[in-house]
Amino acid sequence: MSELGHYALRLALLVAAVGVAAGAVGGLRARPEWTRVSRRAVGLTLALVTLSMAALWFALVTHDFQLRYVAQHSARSMALPYRLAALWGGQAGSLLLWLWVSLLYAGAAVWALRRVRLRSLPWAQATLLANAIFFLVLLNFVTNPFEKLPPAEVLSDGAGLNPLLQHPLMTIHPVMLYAGFTGFSVPFAFALGALAAGELGSTWLRVTRRWTLIPWFFLSIGILLGGRWAYEVLGWGGYWAWDPVENASFMPWLPATAYLHSVIIQEKRDMMKLWNLVLVGLTYSLCLFGTFLTRSGVISSVHSFTAAGWFGFIFLGYVLVAAATFFGALWLRRGALRSTNRLESVLSREASFVLNNWVFMGILAVVFWGTLFPVVSEAVRGVKISVGPRFFNTMTGPLGVILLALTGIGPLVAWRRASPASLRRQFRLPLAAGLLTAAVLLAWFRSAITLYPLVFWSLGGFVVGTIAQEYGRAVRARMRGNGESAPRALATLLRKNQRRYGGYVVHLGVVFILIGIAGAAFNDERLENLSPGDRLEMNGYTLEYLTAKPLPQRHYGGAVARLALYEDGTGVGVLAPEKRMYWLEQQPASIPAIRSTLREDLYVILTNLESDGSATLKIHRNPLVNWIWIGGYTFVLGALLVLWPHPERRTVRGE
Amino acid sequence: MSKGLQIAVGAILVAVVLGWYAATNLESLGSFTYYQTLGEFRASAEPGARVRVHGWVEQGSIVRDVETRTVRFAVRDDPPHAGGPAGDLLPVVYASLETPDLFQDGAEVVVEGELSSRGVSAVFRADNVLAKCPSKFQAEQVEAASF
Repeated sequence: MSELGHYALRLALLVAAVGVAAGAVGGLRARPEWTRVSRRAVGLTLALVTLSMAALWFALVTHDFQLRYVAQHSARSMALPYRLAALWGGQAGSLLLWLWVSLLYAGAAVWALRRVRLRSLPWAQATLLANAIFFLVLLNFVTNPFEKLPPAEVLSDGAGLNPLLQHPLMTIHPVMLYAGFTGFSVPFAFALGALAAGELGSTWLRVTRRWTLIPWFFLSIGILLGGRWAYEVLGWGGYWAWDPVENASFMPWLPATAYLHSVIIQEKRDMMKLWNLVLVGLTYSLCLFGTFLTRSGVISSVHSFTAAGWFGFIFLGYVLVAAATFFGALWLRRGALRSTNRLESVLSREASFVLNNWVFMGILAVVFWGTLFPVVSEAVRGVKISVGPRFFNTMTGPLGVILLALTGIGPLVAWRRASPASLRRQFRLPLAAGLLTAAVLLAWFRSAITLYPLVFWSLGGFVVGTIAQEYGRAVRARMRGNGESAPRALATLLRKNQRRYGGYVVHLGVVFILIGIAGAAFNDERLENLSPGDRLEMNGYTLEYLTAKPLPQRHYGGAVARLALYEDGTGVGVLAPEKRMYWLEQQPASIPAIRSTLREDLYVILTNLESDGSATLKIHRNPLVNWIWIGGYTFVLGALLVLWPHPERRTVRGE
Repeated sequence: MSKGLQIAVGAILVAVVLGWYAATNLESLGSFTYYQTLGEFRASAEPGARVRVHGWVEQGSIVRDVETRTVRFAVRDDPPHAGGPAGDLLPVVYASLETPDLFQDGAEVVVEGELSSRGVSAVFRADNVLAKCPSKFQAEQVEAASF
């Protein structure tokens, strides 16, 4: 079975190469039969890589420890879901997953557009397959998941998967991230195809917008799940550490989100054509670059990068070639991308979108620089350095404030030029909501509130006011004009203009998330050493340390501490933080116990069980963290509303 | 003004403001922290100067004292499992019981703090300890932690 996977990868390389050549011929000579050949090559490559995936999964499930990859990333003691998830527990397997998901996207996009006559189509197909060739070369010749161990080294059990990854969230988080990263290859390919064919009308725009929304949706979920996993498993009390791995997933999200906003200006006002293409190119280049950063080891040390050999250099080379090809083509076609309209006034919807794009680019610049600076410093000056979360928080904080304000301002400002009268009418209610929030907060907290939470929460009130006003006006207009009932008017609204009103739900989710993040200003933490029977008071909570027990022996051991929790004197349950030791991997892990309410989380970590029977505990009080997850669900709901297939519009536009 | 010039001016303005903001805020907050190897630290050690020192935890050197809420251990130049001689050990006193998960014998650590005095009785007073797992697992660790 593993031979099958091995040879399928070899054959896929050949098929993809044929497909690239056929696409180029189809594009240059305008020959539809060659375009068809390249389309079939996409399908066949997908089928062959699917076979490889199946073969690797089969090897993991059946414990084929002859394969180096299976031996290094799985073990007999692992449950079936984790054996399946071990496919993306290491280098070669994650690359195979990347390739497979990107081909699923390519296949779906090519299939959806098979009847559309586009001169750019063969070029787009060639680009998608060229991208696949890169990963196929890596998988075939540099890091092959089907590589066999020498017979002398084959053991009866494997080394296991990193225990921290053996968590339900970790089985889907990487898949979501990859479904985000790889999907951006479709808009990238279609934009590059449009540039190559000189077909820069509105067609590529329609295609890329939809095919940007889908990966953007998955990437957003992936980032949120990553935060949730870090919070529940890593046991340091937070959900986002500005770690290079996290930043790598966040960086492409920024230009993609900027694009989803500025593309609206292009549709309505035929402006920013060139800029939108820049954003599409930037997004996929950053996906590749982020994967390079995290996969090559360059982040942990420049030395481990150079020691790792070919892999990093090939990958970096590909990132540069892909970006250079795209931006080179863009440069050559810049003349055809001139806008017919200009910005007419600073007080316009367009201007607020342009500012929104600038802020996203500003955040990107900060994250890019902060992530890369340690690498640059080590390579150039030989000095090791670490850039702490403080850098990122300090730099992105003000930008986040501007962005949140724009979320509320944008929908209130008219296109082209807003008149003072319309501004007064539009801003009255949302501004009142924001000011009221600020007044309530100041009355409640008095001097205890700091600047950031005050600003973020008041702006949150302002944005919610904007969204409510937008919904309220539109629903009332339908009720009056068409005589519909309120729920019916709301449903029609969501169906007829799902992008706008779904987008507002996404905004609402973002507001919740930022409210939750700003809650961190009130975080509180304590380190305590308790003997059995000792009690600890903290903000109305009482924790009583009962006992510690050894964990039942599984593939990990360790101890669990039991603490009775009282809130204002009444018992609410038992918290049981664990200190685990994974035997096979010799890796310790603290699993926190969390008491979570809408107001705040009480987050207890068992730092150590001391030899005298006492327990050293770290206790965090994290206000409003739950709102981040609630915001996440709202965000997903809104994005689904936007994405939901719209049968009426499809027939109208011939999509 | 041409559009290109406008964009250039805008970009420069934004970069200057961000740069100014970074320069005024970040140095004082200590966001960028350089660290030295144990060897480099020995060559330039000044009592009382705040530094970060990188090394490995000597086997069997960790002593946790619950009464005084301190952890004592020794840091060495090379990883213990590399098999070389221990060389000069740097004794560390960490004034907290809060040690990271991966802090154990042989772990790669960065200790943050200052040297108490000159001479043989000097100890390193740490107020922060960061740990990586022993380097025999590091290659896998880096890979697995990547996604």
